[in-house]
Amino acid sequence: MARSRKITKILFKRELLYSLYSWGYYGVLFVSFFASSFILKNFLDGIREDDILVSAFPLNYPLYITIIIISLYLVLVSAISISREREQGTLEVLFYGPVASKNFLMAKYWKDLFLGIISLGFTAVYFYLVSTFTNLGFTPGLIRALIMGIFLISCVVSFGLFISSFTGRVRSSIIALIALLGAFLAIQFSYSTLLGIEKESLSVPLFYLRQTLHIVFQGINWVSPFAFLSRGLDSVVLESWPLFFTNILYCVIYSVIFLSLSIFIMNRRGVKA
Amino acid sequence: MKKNFSLMFILLLTSFLGITAIASAEAPVMREQFVYSLTSFNGSSYSKSFCPSTEDTIYFIDDEQNIISPRKTIVYYWPITQRYMAGFSTLNEEMVGKLEILQGGKVINTLDKQTYTLYYPKGYGSEKAMVYTDAAAKEYFDKYKAAVDELNAKLREYYENMARYRELFNRFLEEVKRRREAGDTGPIDIPIPQEPKPPEFVEFYATELTDGFVLKLPVGTYEIRIRAEDGTLVEGSEKKVVVFASRRRGGIGYEIIPGNRWTKRENCDEPSWIIHAIGKNELYFNPFQQDEFNELYYNKLVDPQNIGRLERWKWVHVDPIDKVNLLLGYGQQILQSIKKEPYFVKQIPGAELGYEIMKYDDDLKQKGYQPTFESYKVILDENLPKRDYTVSSVNADNGQPVHQSERIIRLLKKENASYLYAIPFFPLIVGVFVILSRRNRVEK
Repeated sequence: MARSRKITKILFKRELLYSLYSWGYYGVLFVSFFASSFILKNFLDGIREDDILVSAFPLNYPLYITIIIISLYLVLVSAISISREREQGTLEVLFYGPVASKNFLMAKYWKDLFLGIISLGFTAVYFYLVSTFTNLGFTPGLIRALIMGIFLISCVVSFGLFISSFTGRVRSSIIALIALLGAFLAIQFSYSTLLGIEKESLSVPLFYLRQTLHIVFQGINWVSPFAFLSRGLDSVVLESWPLFFTNILYCVIYSVIFLSLSIFIMNRRGVKA
Repeated sequence: MKKNFSLMFILLLTSFLGITAIASAEAPVMREQFVYSLTSFNGSSYSKSFCPSTEDTIYFIDDEQNIISPRKTIVYYWPITQRYMAGFSTLNEEMVGKLEILQGGKVINTLDKQTYTLYYPKGYGSEKAMVYTDAAAKEYFDKYKAAVDELNAKLREYYENMARYRELFNRFLEEVKRRREAGDTGPIDIPIPQEPKPPEFVEFYATELTDGFVLKLPVGTYEIRIRAEDGTLVEGSEKKVVVFASRRRGGIGYEIIPGNRWTKRENCDEPSWIIHAIGKNELYFNPFQQDEFNELYYNKLVDPQNIGRLERWKWVHVDPIDKVNLLLGYGQQILQSIKKEPYFVKQIPGAELGYEIMKYDDDLKQKGYQPTFESYKVILDENLPKRDYTVSSVNADNGQPVHQSERIIRLLKKENASYLYAIPFFPLIVGVFVILSRRNRVEK
């Protein structure tokens, strides 16, 4: 047990340092903060001198955008992390040693989660500076959203690793990720469009399609990590502690399920590309 | 694998585009339908809506009178708003019968239609309204009708007096002119005609007497249905009724009228909500007593087709608070103590806003104008330091602060907005430091 933990720790450290010493990570943080600054600048410019805006969470929308961009980066990094090692053959080499699928996946998970936590640390500093310069409040709600962000990133990373566990090449991982996220979006749009049609006017096939899409849409709400993101940040805005902790619990369950599935698939799939 | 994903994408895209095309090609279909016309108590007044066949539940606040009126009308779907609309002007047939109220499958009450009126003590569209039924309804409606008849008589008299006054005033001017032309330079000792005063308008309002079922129920879930005179159930009349209560009562909320857009008011109901401003504002605050209701239930009460969330709560303004003063402060320091005053909105052609909000004074009263609104005016000067200020209500008699009435006004530093584009660079600076320090370590 201790040996297994040590292996995970060594792999985790190696992976984390590798990511922290690369430009990409800082570039993504810059892009996400720049997008937030753009929104905030427009928001401030939008308030006329003699106008008001009543809001408890003026920084929540930019925070949402920041977390979305960071999540997209992390889901991509996670999605290619195993397939890249598979493609390069490093996975095979590692598995000749004392490394097991569980150690390897947990190291990847902790690495990506830590990258996310560090990003949230940067995000906190960014919003603190924004608050100092503009007087837009750094509210307790923002701190709650950042805490929720840790669990949301956990979902995103587990989802990314799950995709990576069954793909053999980097390109396949990226295509699978885009296809899945695209499918989620397409189903959401199709369902919304069908909802816009009067029930009585729908032909029988379209009515059944709407019913099917409704069920699929409900399912997506529990599969897509971005649905968890919306729900989690909603619970912060609603200022409901039971909802906040329920969402955290959901995120933990989601992460455990997807990580277990990833370990299972990786064991079945093997180490070769 | 790649092929499969491409195929999946094409299929999804085609179905999406197909569905969109079908949606845009649909035209509204008119259908004759049984609906319930609803007059529901919303905390302070009454909301009018209807319940189409697609909605199976009607929502009411507990222990308050609500009116249900079964009608046959034309219903059509309006895709733009995704709502069913009722064409009451085309068909509005009253359904006869009795309303049965059931709980747990058993009929607990059977109601007959009653005559009712909606009474607005401060005029139509004001914040409060009451329902009066049967004899009381007739009494209030007659009172309103008598007041309107009296007003019309007074108005006729006023217009006659006004015509007489204009005639007398013209005669007076002609007499003055004639005397001046005749060389009379001294004081003219003829009395100046007095302009007649317009009559006071009827302040209250009562709607026409109408028939409907008056429901007043305690919290619970019920079913309703209409039993026709021949003893059969009217098709489509079975609905579920959810009667709910407020979660919290007696909170303090504010309605804020920004001076630059007086018709588009803002609410600041939660103490955690912050009023963000730049610092050149005239704000008109109206404190209200408020009750907190479940968002889904309340929205559905206002209109059964509204949407809402069961886990969300919302404050509803119930009664305006008058006997308070408003304090604008910074920390313990009081910057302004404000009393409630009447204001008049004067339309100005060509001005930037198109209107001017002015204090309602005797001059305006003399001219027969009524105040547009009453409010507490808070002035935020542009020279105020950019920080957080507080607005709170205190009892006008004893100066005691009103519980949970404090709100924060945060003055934003808009002039610093350009720095926002510099802040995102800090992760890059950290990145440069981390990567360069590692490179140095490796080189060493």
